[in-house]
Amino acid sequence: MYMKTFEENFTAWVDGELTGKELVEFEASLPDRAAAEAEKSEMQKLGVLLKQELCAQPFANEEFFSHQISEQIARDETGQDRQGTRSTWWTVPRLAWCGAAAVALFVLFSITFVRDDAPESQSPYLTQILNARVDPVENPNATVTMFESQKNGDERVTVLWTEGLKSLPSEYAAK
Amino acid sequence: MHTETPPAQSEVSEIELVKRCQRGDTEAFDELVTRYRTRIFGMIYNMVHNEQDAWDLAQDSFLKAWKSIQRFRGKSSFYTWIYRIVMNVTIDHMRKKQIKGSGAEFDDQIQLKEIEPAARTAPKADELPFERMERGELRQKIDNAIAQLTPEHRAVILMKETEDMQYHEIAEALGCSIGTVMSRLFYARKRLQNLLKDVHENV
Repeated sequence: MYMKTFEENFTAWVDGELTGKELVEFEASLPDRAAAEAEKSEMQKLGVLLKQELCAQPFANEEFFSHQISEQIARDETGQDRQGTRSTWWTVPRLAWCGAAAVALFVLFSITFVRDDAPESQSPYLTQILNARVDPVENPNATVTMFESQKNGDERVTVLWTEGLKSLPSEYAAK
Repeated sequence: MHTETPPAQSEVSEIELVKRCQRGDTEAFDELVTRYRTRIFGMIYNMVHNEQDAWDLAQDSFLKAWKSIQRFRGKSSFYTWIYRIVMNVTIDHMRKKQIKGSGAEFDDQIQLKEIEPAARTAPKADELPFERMERGELRQKIDNAIAQLTPEHRAVILMKETEDMQYHEIAEALGCSIGTVMSRLFYARKRLQNLLKDVHENV
């Protein structure tokens, strides 16, 4: 059985919570009953004083107080919704699929564009600068350049680019 | 004493409001806030003696209550349940402030000097200026005395004397045994008696 301490019994006695056998036993155990009664009375007066003085606490802007709480709750809920949407969309299978798709795209891009880029860095023509056949006396500033396509097969193209020619050598004359 | 409508007299019962809150009804929670805001603000104010802190702590308590409303099982009243949150928030705040402070137990003394004492008591139409001043001084003395108690002693004495809460309700709110509540009440009363000796003699 739980035995109350003197402090616990005294508090219960002051608050009128001790009854029956407990009350009789406690009052009988008091060494100075008159002093204890005086103290009980003082404590009860203290309670009345505190009740009188501390209950009158004005609370200004009550509606604003509630409004702030409602706003904060709304903000929290919106934040949670956003967070929830993000976290549910990025599931593990989706992440795996997204990763695989990204790798596939990268590989496709590499094959399609990167491989084709290499020939583009060079001219599709073989360039030859031909000076040998131009007469330096007749055409001192003449330059002849020939561009021949590198492609094999039937579609071969050759471009002859001439500059500074005053007259064509006789062997180039149209026949 | 309290400005809110007691739950028993109100149209919607407290438990019904709590159930609606648990279904995510913010309007129901707003109704609960309206019912208890003054009491909770008053209680916290008497603990911390600073209006701004009391406002913030009361808001913090209500927001925590909203977040954990799903855990409320209805074993006690909503008021007792929210009081536990209020006490945790307030006592935690007071302990942090105590750690940050420069040796003084709490800085309420400084704050009390900054606020006009008469402004913190409810104005009464029939009160004369002298009476109001005297009342303000009395309130200041009581506040000063309470400020010298530990957070736990403040909590029990305020819950018992100003809120008329039962021992078991206080125990539930503070998360301790009934015996501890009674013991704390004994020592808190003794301390206040000593601190307010002159007030007692004059009242």
